[in-house]
Amino acid sequence: MKFNDLLLGLLVLVAGVAIYVSALGFTDIPGQAYGAGTMPRAIALFAVCLGLSMIGRAVVAGARMPRLELAPWVRAPRPVVSALVAIALVVFYIAAAPAIGFVPASLVVMAVLMLTLRTRPVTAIAVSIAACVVIQQAFGRLLLVPLPRSEFLGFLW
Amino acid sequence: MPILAEAFALVFQPYVLMVILASAAFGMFVGAIPGLTATMATALLVPVTFFMDPVPAIAAIVTATAMAIFAGDIPGSLLRMPGTPASAAYVEDSYRMTRSGRSEEALGACLVFSAIGGIFGTVVLVTAAPVLAEVALKFSSFEYFWLVVLGLSCAIFVSPGSVPRGMISLIIGLFAATIGIDNPAGQPRYTFGNVELLAGIQFIPAMIGLFAVSEVLRSVVSGADTPAVEAGGKKGIFTRQWANLKRYPLQTLRGSVAGTAIGALPGAGADIAAWISYAVSKKFSKEPKKFGTGHVEGLVEAGASNNGAVSGAWIPALVFGIPGDSITAIVIGVLYIKGLNPGPTIFINQPQLIYAVFIVFFLANIIMLPMGWIAIKAARTILSIPARVLMPIILMFCIVGSFAINNTPFGITLMLIFGVIGFLMEENDIPIAPAILGLVLGPMLEQNFVTSMIKADGSFLAFFERPIAAGLGLFTIAIWSIPLVIAVLRRRRPDAARAA
Repeated sequence: MKFNDLLLGLLVLVAGVAIYVSALGFTDIPGQAYGAGTMPRAIALFAVCLGLSMIGRAVVAGARMPRLELAPWVRAPRPVVSALVAIALVVFYIAAAPAIGFVPASLVVMAVLMLTLRTRPVTAIAVSIAACVVIQQAFGRLLLVPLPRSEFLGFLW
Repeated sequence: MPILAEAFALVFQPYVLMVILASAAFGMFVGAIPGLTATMATALLVPVTFFMDPVPAIAAIVTATAMAIFAGDIPGSLLRMPGTPASAAYVEDSYRMTRSGRSEEALGACLVFSAIGGIFGTVVLVTAAPVLAEVALKFSSFEYFWLVVLGLSCAIFVSPGSVPRGMISLIIGLFAATIGIDNPAGQPRYTFGNVELLAGIQFIPAMIGLFAVSEVLRSVVSGADTPAVEAGGKKGIFTRQWANLKRYPLQTLRGSVAGTAIGALPGAGADIAAWISYAVSKKFSKEPKKFGTGHVEGLVEAGASNNGAVSGAWIPALVFGIPGDSITAIVIGVLYIKGLNPGPTIFINQPQLIYAVFIVFFLANIIMLPMGWIAIKAARTILSIPARVLMPIILMFCIVGSFAINNTPFGITLMLIFGVIGFLMEENDIPIAPAILGLVLGPMLEQNFVTSMIKADGSFLAFFERPIAAGLGLFTIAIWSIPLVIAVLRRRRPDAARAA
């Protein structure tokens, strides 16, 4: 999904205006003309100027490029599904790891993604188990990162 | 001379040498794991140093830090996951070199020129520490403001692709940096009632998302059916570097000098140093178009610069007790615990300990070469794994690395959001690097800008009233205006030719 300069310029302009409007509600340091809104307002002005300049240049150049160009992967269902699976697996980890623990959650994330990418099932499961144990030992045991624990796998810690 | 002999005796003891070796391995391990930083390596070492004498305690920290800063280049080069923002400056070049089968040359350049920069910084630390620290102390908010603007400008102009798209990236980074309560008025901004957002956007999860998760997503949509990288390039860790040194002597020197000088400025560490050096390298290069496509020149200069800055950061730390970066901030605490109160008196009261620290610096940068060689050789096996197996494991490392920063799942959420943003940015040819620098330097820019405006009572002229500030300001304006002037002149030339 590729935007041309005209569309990107418009997006930047709208974002700039939105940031500026939202920054109007921020308070200043008591007795000063500067405060929480100063930086967002400066960024907004920068964005508005950039947006206008991009729109101007695109209009002058005739904006020959299509406004929205779809990458080849967008048209094929498989890459889109794979990308969505990858994102969904991270969401699954965030939701499930505190309840079921690091080891089962990470095993699911790695094995399912490998299978989605057409790795042979035996390889996917074997590599996932090995990687899972190595990561748990390195982070959980050696570096003392408090990874979510599983009741039945307490011996790993 | 007796003091120097005493310092040598303090360092060259079996126990101290063993501590140096063990800390080197530890620093290399922590730095090479995506998501874990040199600062984290230092923080993890602090409890261990409680049980040591001053010299081995400082030696452990110095060695682990130097190793971790270099080791941050390993995941950057192999997996496009820079270990530190400093490595992010040249990650595009080192990663593309890896993709074209030149991983060992890329990592070798990072290793050798890091060591050269580190040794140069140490020589300066030994010889000119008090003088440089005095200059650094003259920096006020005006100078820091220009220094930050200079760093941000460099990020835009060095990034591949068009300048407007680089600016979009910078806006994304600067906006993300405004989130949270850490602002001049202490008012929550864009937190939407989320308590975790009050602390702002952590740059490590954001960086992992923008660089690594976006790469995983890209690999996933492209089918991930090819090996992660091409094989080849078995030689080059050291053999190619002699040729690089002969080819780029000026770049090596310039990177080392700039890195040490910038590192000596309190608060301006290896991150800004690497970005500015990379930009300078591109600006003065005979082949600027090759930058960002797998060209070693930027690696040479910025690699020397960031390790030069690591040594340089110790100058204000030792001489005035002012930390040059987050690592030296921790070190100052350790120095106090050990009874080594940093400041001018330490050179008078315990000179043998300071010289011992200097010797450790040299040792750390020398030992980096064999340790780095082993780490690169070990890491190379990663390259032979097919992408469809490697990418899910990388995703898991990203998740754990993002979690490890604050030990909350919120880091993983941030990583995912920035991963999707990074993927969409790259689909639209928007470079990622300026967003990272905007995120890292945004708070510093805001603080120094607002402080300066209050001091100047709203007058912009005050930004040019102090000599160093004026110099930095004019240099920054020149960086912005020279390309415009060149573009106008180029446009006029064909018109004039047509008129003739």
